[in-house]
Amino acid sequence: MTKLPTIARATLLSAALAGAALAPLSVAAPTQALAQAASADAAADTAFIQSLGQRLVAVVNGGGSNAEKKAQLQPMLNQDVDIDYIARSCLGRFWRTATPDQQQRYLALFHKVLTNAIDDKLGEYRGVGISVGNAIVQDGKSYVTTIITRPGQPTANVQWVVSHAGGAPKIDDVVIEGVSLSVTQRSDYASYLAHNGNSIDALLNALESKIARQS
Amino acid sequence: MYPEKRPSLTRRAGRTLAARAGGAALLLLGVAACADKPTDPAGLADYQQRNDPLEPTNRVLYNVSDKVDAYTLKPVAQAYVWAVPLPARTGVANVLSNLASPAVFFNDVFEAKPARAGDTFMRFLINSTVGVAGVLDVAKGWGYPAHIADGGMTLAQWGLPSGPYLFLPLLGPSSPRALTGYGMDIALAPLNYVPRGYGLITLNYALYGVSIVSARAALLGDLDQVKKNALDPYATIRSLYRQHTNAEIKTMQDDHRMTVPDWYAR
Repeated sequence: MTKLPTIARATLLSAALAGAALAPLSVAAPTQALAQAASADAAADTAFIQSLGQRLVAVVNGGGSNAEKKAQLQPMLNQDVDIDYIARSCLGRFWRTATPDQQQRYLALFHKVLTNAIDDKLGEYRGVGISVGNAIVQDGKSYVTTIITRPGQPTANVQWVVSHAGGAPKIDDVVIEGVSLSVTQRSDYASYLAHNGNSIDALLNALESKIARQS
Repeated sequence: MYPEKRPSLTRRAGRTLAARAGGAALLLLGVAACADKPTDPAGLADYQQRNDPLEPTNRVLYNVSDKVDAYTLKPVAQAYVWAVPLPARTGVANVLSNLASPAVFFNDVFEAKPARAGDTFMRFLINSTVGVAGVLDVAKGWGYPAHIADGGMTLAQWGLPSGPYLFLPLLGPSSPRALTGYGMDIALAPLNYVPRGYGLITLNYALYGVSIVSARAALLGDLDQVKKNALDPYATIRSLYRQHTNAEIKTMQDDHRMTVPDWYAR
């Protein structure tokens, strides 16, 4: 009797990942303190997530159609999320064996995958709240803990992984109740590759047709 | 609640348990097939990381469960969501969680986590009374939030590795450790020790059915999402299950709260 709800929660939260995780990206420039920070700094990165979180809530809870919200979120994705890093990490060891052409094609597809995942979830979020907790620094990255609330839903513990690889803080991964976006996506791709002769072209074609069916 | 005082009933529960475990083992043997082990080092590393030597069998069971679900449990869960408003569904989930409290409590104790056991004890006490037989989760607002504790986590705390991945009919994603723990939890559920003829056995089965529907309803949209977005939903669910289980275990192991009062000189 206790097992099923556990599984339910795992799946529930992971699915919330795409939406809750990526929604908080907003257009505004990072605060001055953040612009100066070149390496992981718990206080500055907490402020970064705090500021993003508030603007996320404003966009997601605000009026307007999904298309308008999408338009508001889209540029920020590029600004505050290190999509290329996440994409590389999701491909794992196959990134190194891919040809430059395959890499470019993959990155373009991955951007679309991420955008679609957010679009899918946007309509479901209303009355979202976020409270930012502590941050810890580990291996040069900050792990900022937040709690996301939604009406009628259990609260979700969300950890934001912030790195400073390119100077400005960027989100490298999002971990909801212990479930990492990157790790989940990587095991999906790895399994697809393992069952399709480790062919990167097969993976790219599969991503392409998945995106074509969704749009 | 006190299985040791009812030896005959304990034996009966044990027999049911053994029968279930035996059935599961037979089922697995019947359709067992092993995944081919890759020979190149990188492929072998991936294979070991997947830790799913029974993958072909698991996939068959996953596909069957998925098909069966589409025509049975999923429509029932959809009807439940359609017919029952959200506050009532939350109440149902709360009642089920309250009834599971004794098993959670014993697992907290077996995990040697007294503060968590105290939380569970207070939750059961408060929600069973002030919370009107568990319908309302009053204890959460009073500083006793819910947490998960099950036999699988207890065995993990005792140092048992999870073993290979299993996908089981009805139970879904699992492992030998989680399955053994699930059997322990059945043995810990108080309603399994109700004497025959009290009508409560029927109640127990009814509750079991409701808990399955309630759990399925909670992940209606999300499971669809996973199946829609993932290239390989089976592997994605495997990863979600493992990550979540490990996170629950880590949260439990990192909970070092003391039960000694602040004023007590240490």
